[in-house]
Amino acid sequence: MSQATLRVQKISGHAGTVPGEDTQREFTVCKLVDTTTCIGCKACEVACVEWNDMPFSQTTFDNTYQTMPDTRWNYWNLILFNEHEREDGTLQWLMRKHQCMHCAEPGCLEACPADGAIVQYTNGVVDFQQDHCIGCGYCVTGCPFNIPKFNSVTKRMYKCSLCTDRVSQGLEPACIKSCPTGCLHFGTKDDMKFLAEKRAKQLRDHYGFDNAGVYDPPGVGGTGVIYVLHDATKPELYGGLPSNPTIPLAVKFWKHPLKWLGNLALVGGLVGLFAHYLRFGPKAREESDLAPKEGD
Amino acid sequence: MTNGWVDMKNTDMMLIMGGNPAENHPCGFKWPVEAKRTRNAKMIVVDPRFTRTAAVADMFCQIRAGSDIAFLGGLIHYAIENNRIAKDYLVHYTNAGFIVEKDFKLPDVDGLFSGFDSEKQTYNRASWNYQGAGGKSPAPPEAKPGAPPPLPPLPGTVDFDPTLQNPNCVFQLLKKQYSRYTPEMVERITGIPKEQFLKAADLYTSVRKDGDMKKVSTIIYAVGWTHHSFGTQIIRTAAIVQLLLGNVGRAGGGVNALRGHSNIQGATDMAGLFDSLPGYLKVPTPADASFADWMKRITPTSSKPAAWDSFNYYSNTPKFAVSLLKALYGDAATKQNGWAFDYLPKVDRNYSWVQMWDDMYRGTLKGMLAFGMNGVAIGPNSKKNIDALKKADFLVVGEIYPNETSDFWRAPGTSTDEMKQIQTTVYNLPCAGFAEKDGSMTNSARWVLWKNTAVPTPGDARLDHAILAQIFLKVRELYKKEGGKFPDPILNLTWNYSYPSSPPLAEVLKEINGKALADLEDPATKQQIKAGQQVPGFAWLKDDGTTLCGNWIYSGAFTEAGNQSARRDPSDPSGMGVHPAWGWSWPANRRVLYNRASCDLDGKPWDPSRKQVWWSEATQKWVGNDVPDFKADSKPKDHMGPFIMNPEGVGRIFGPLAAFADGPFPEFYEPTESPIDNPLHPQQTHNPVVKRFKTPDDKYSTPKDGYTVVCTTYRMTEHYHYWTKNNPMNVQLIPEPFIEIPAELANDIGVHGGENIKVSSIRGEYIAKAMVTKRIKPMMIDGKKVYQIGFQIHQGFRGITEDEGKDARTLANTLTPTVFDPNAFTPEFKGFLVKVEKA
Amino acid sequence: MSQQEQLIPHDHVLRYNFNERMNHWVAAGSFIYLMLTGLAFWSPWLFWIASALGGAELSRMLHPWVGLVFFVAVCYMYALWSSQMKHDPVDTEWWKSLPHYIRNEDDKMPPAGRYNAGQKLLFWSFFFGGIVLLATGLVLWFTESIPWAWRWVRYLSVVLHAGTALLMIGNLMIHVYMGVFAERGAFGSVIRGDVSLAFAKRYHPGWYQEIVRKSDRTK
Repeated sequence: MSQATLRVQKISGHAGTVPGEDTQREFTVCKLVDTTTCIGCKACEVACVEWNDMPFSQTTFDNTYQTMPDTRWNYWNLILFNEHEREDGTLQWLMRKHQCMHCAEPGCLEACPADGAIVQYTNGVVDFQQDHCIGCGYCVTGCPFNIPKFNSVTKRMYKCSLCTDRVSQGLEPACIKSCPTGCLHFGTKDDMKFLAEKRAKQLRDHYGFDNAGVYDPPGVGGTGVIYVLHDATKPELYGGLPSNPTIPLAVKFWKHPLKWLGNLALVGGLVGLFAHYLRFGPKAREESDLAPKEGD
Repeated sequence: MTNGWVDMKNTDMMLIMGGNPAENHPCGFKWPVEAKRTRNAKMIVVDPRFTRTAAVADMFCQIRAGSDIAFLGGLIHYAIENNRIAKDYLVHYTNAGFIVEKDFKLPDVDGLFSGFDSEKQTYNRASWNYQGAGGKSPAPPEAKPGAPPPLPPLPGTVDFDPTLQNPNCVFQLLKKQYSRYTPEMVERITGIPKEQFLKAADLYTSVRKDGDMKKVSTIIYAVGWTHHSFGTQIIRTAAIVQLLLGNVGRAGGGVNALRGHSNIQGATDMAGLFDSLPGYLKVPTPADASFADWMKRITPTSSKPAAWDSFNYYSNTPKFAVSLLKALYGDAATKQNGWAFDYLPKVDRNYSWVQMWDDMYRGTLKGMLAFGMNGVAIGPNSKKNIDALKKADFLVVGEIYPNETSDFWRAPGTSTDEMKQIQTTVYNLPCAGFAEKDGSMTNSARWVLWKNTAVPTPGDARLDHAILAQIFLKVRELYKKEGGKFPDPILNLTWNYSYPSSPPLAEVLKEINGKALADLEDPATKQQIKAGQQVPGFAWLKDDGTTLCGNWIYSGAFTEAGNQSARRDPSDPSGMGVHPAWGWSWPANRRVLYNRASCDLDGKPWDPSRKQVWWSEATQKWVGNDVPDFKADSKPKDHMGPFIMNPEGVGRIFGPLAAFADGPFPEFYEPTESPIDNPLHPQQTHNPVVKRFKTPDDKYSTPKDGYTVVCTTYRMTEHYHYWTKNNPMNVQLIPEPFIEIPAELANDIGVHGGENIKVSSIRGEYIAKAMVTKRIKPMMIDGKKVYQIGFQIHQGFRGITEDEGKDARTLANTLTPTVFDPNAFTPEFKGFLVKVEKA
Repeated sequence: MSQQEQLIPHDHVLRYNFNERMNHWVAAGSFIYLMLTGLAFWSPWLFWIASALGGAELSRMLHPWVGLVFFVAVCYMYALWSSQMKHDPVDTEWWKSLPHYIRNEDDKMPPAGRYNAGQKLLFWSFFFGGIVLLATGLVLWFTESIPWAWRWVRYLSVVLHAGTALLMIGNLMIHVYMGVFAERGAFGSVIRGDVSLAFAKRYHPGWYQEIVRKSDRTK
């Protein structure tokens, strides 16, 4: 892959055309996370912090192996640990690598008002450009996966960049590189889908997971991170992975009908008032109009 | 490991027990995962807790810590009862058909094997022998006054029953021994419900359904098995299971110990234990009057059925011993002075870890050099260890961080007045971290892998071995100047390094590999090597002083072809994970030990799709994808046993004579501190030969004292022993210790997750936050409800959060008892009794 | 009425004292800033406004603080004027006569008091609108403090904040139009404070009557 994969095909808060749209063959990258072989070793967490040189965080033990309750502005990749008792009494300890999903239709980008603060490259990576970010936090509202995080010092938003610096040089993201069990894979979306479906079929055929499947939610146009789940009908068990994530209805309403209605109303209002002035003019045309009339 | 990490990808079935590889060996764990992904292999995890490994397993059984032998014994019972055994393998590759002495008695009645001396708490093991005639073995040396009577030798020709029907044959004794280990008994002892046990046993032995030999299963374990007062016997039981199922020597099979540190295998190989010399040569004792005496005692002679052949590779022991002495003492070792045998220290008693601290506690050990290990924290009964150091004259610590050993004098609870009383002089020497030195590391798979220095040592820090070298040179100088009672071993020690004060490690590895001291020729191949050249392997070693070799099993690691451990060719022509040119593995770059057993009697692989070695009719030689672990030209019809390191040539289901201190068959005994009496024989609850210590710091608790909760200790992925509490990245991942307790127990004592609880054993207490979890369930042990808890060992009173005053605490091992396994001397860190209260 | 609506020379009457005028302009200034920066974030096509106002980052940073200023002004307005903004029967009549009002037929309007019904609506819309904007604005300001389970609060807030602002902007446009273009003298009243008696009589006959009554009494 070349630097050309970082050509931009979607820009947040942008009036006008987008430079990279349809200028390249389609080539979408994708991370595959096989939760059925994840051992929660946190190597990906360490690799992420190390590669991106992020400062360390204070953490507190909170009755779980999980490093912290949620991702942070300087902690983009977190394994979520969940104990789940199945109906047959056996226990599952579900571990899921939680990070930006790099949606094909990113809610963050949709909600972002700042021109160029969030971009989507032609390879599908959704990337925050902190030098354009204004720190409004609308991306938080737009994201169905609770990913963007605010740095109160820089007043900007941060999240997983899918290691664009590595990916643009033909390397896999740091998290993938570090995974010891091979539960993480990286490649084109098509290849990853193929691998994931194959593994899901193996789980159904040989390991008794009748509902094993692949998580690639269509509600956000598919994601740049896909999961193999033991039970694809219950993604919520994996630390609240939404079963049918979409860009929130409110955001869609706000960004589309409300926007056009509002614009119409504003322009209509201005035109109406102007027309009123032209038609009726001011209430008192001259100072003398204000004089008390006879008979009052 | 009999096999290796990469080889695990060849397996069809895994029993992971006494280990949590996903947690502690995450990188190696890729291979079990690979087996699942590529072979649909199944994984059974048996552990006191539902672990990270259990999270990806196909079946999980929660076992009471320390009851492993009962589970494995039950597995043996199940395999025999259901005929899930490898009949041909059993008859020809194990001692199943060997007839045992009439006097031998199983512990089925009173929990004791024949020959127990209750006064000395030891066994007279004379009856633990095969029945047979003659033998080339020499007569036992005469008994010394006070010493136990010497053991008779193994018979040269063993009585044998190929039908396995003789009631005194090993197989029938095995069957009888484990007939008591019924599923019901397994449930009573281990707490694993009968149905669940049967499911696990059925799954594991399913590889041998209808006697089919194609499939292979492996057993993977770690310190969860060794940390018991019967640890060696747990591993023995696993070995028996694997021999019974015909899994040893085969790709994807074996009994596989996961070593806890990157080079712990290397440490053991290089005589990290007091009772062995490099290459597992047995140390001389005061009873060995001469080199010849010593050799006579430690060189076995073959012991086998008359019609069979046995390679008995250890018959070469004198070659290895002479070459070692030549490496140690050079020209000073001559045939006339018995190769300087007198220079070797004679080991008169137990000097193992726990014993050593006990010696210091009792004032007989005066000082200690502690390099690269945190002795106070890592051993059992930390308080005793700290008290011991208070009595020492000096302590030298070589470390990269200050730790609990270097700072023992300020352990929590030590008052300023007490500190003033401590007279121990402590020297802290800044040493080198792993990335700051080169050298080789030997992994669990016996692969010797060379590494280069990544960064120089910072500041005044020095390489550990350079410090030791300089101490040695100084001591030698003093002996030279001042003389002494017996200066010769010091003055004559070989030290021919280009930089004596910091020997280059490549030169050390060359010395370990060994070289010729005269021109040599292989009589068979006519291959020659010149004096001064590196030997190609241990087959070249001689007992006439013409070779030197620092460790015979490493011979071949650094040859004339260069440093073999530095090879990095990833190719794997067979696709079986052999990677023959990646590093180098002992012995002789062989990846799977006993691989002759991967073939049937005719020398054809049991599974043609996983060919390791085979007999080539064309060349009349054993050839293969791996290096054959066998006499290369021994024809299958000669019936040489595949287990060439045993005098019998076969795998030992029955461990005769001195092999084990506590029984030729494993028997289940309760841990030293156990919540119940042994259901098999309540009058003999514990391992009869295990000794307890008697100092004021040594106390052992019982349920009667209110200690009723079974406790185990372990390590976390997020930390490396006691080091990484100095690294902010690791501290971020696990900032403080926690104690995992079952939700039901939390409910009983009214504690929520994240609140402090106090765990106390009779030796001390430990306070940390509770992790309330569903991953440990209350158990029914022999009809009693028993709780089991566990916690990590990583924290102490020096480290980032400790030094910030946020997290300083006593050591986890404050709670563990001073008691050890009678064979390997490993302390019992797992399965002791505690009380749990709200703090 | 507590205000000192004293008659001043040249047939003028003081309609807004200094505090009222000051507060009006604080509110007006802050609201206009909020409106402009808000519009910049509302549409990419207006994002340039933020650049014109010193950059989007500055706009984003100041918007919530100016919002607080606006809210304080709204609160003060409430203290000043809420008692005069109560609905009375005349207002009902007034709304019924709205078409006349639009056609500038003021003589056909029922006699409004100090504030006509339209002004009262404006007041209450700014008061309640201010509360809604503050509440939703705080959610958007500290958006990460909202627990994930309560994310609907965020969703509600983005819609309400924008919707309310739109309504208020609409009201503001009418207010500015009325004050600057439609009613001569109204603009002066929030600058200098006074209006002519004629203005009072034309637009707020009820109020005018009261002033006259009071002045009669004091004479």
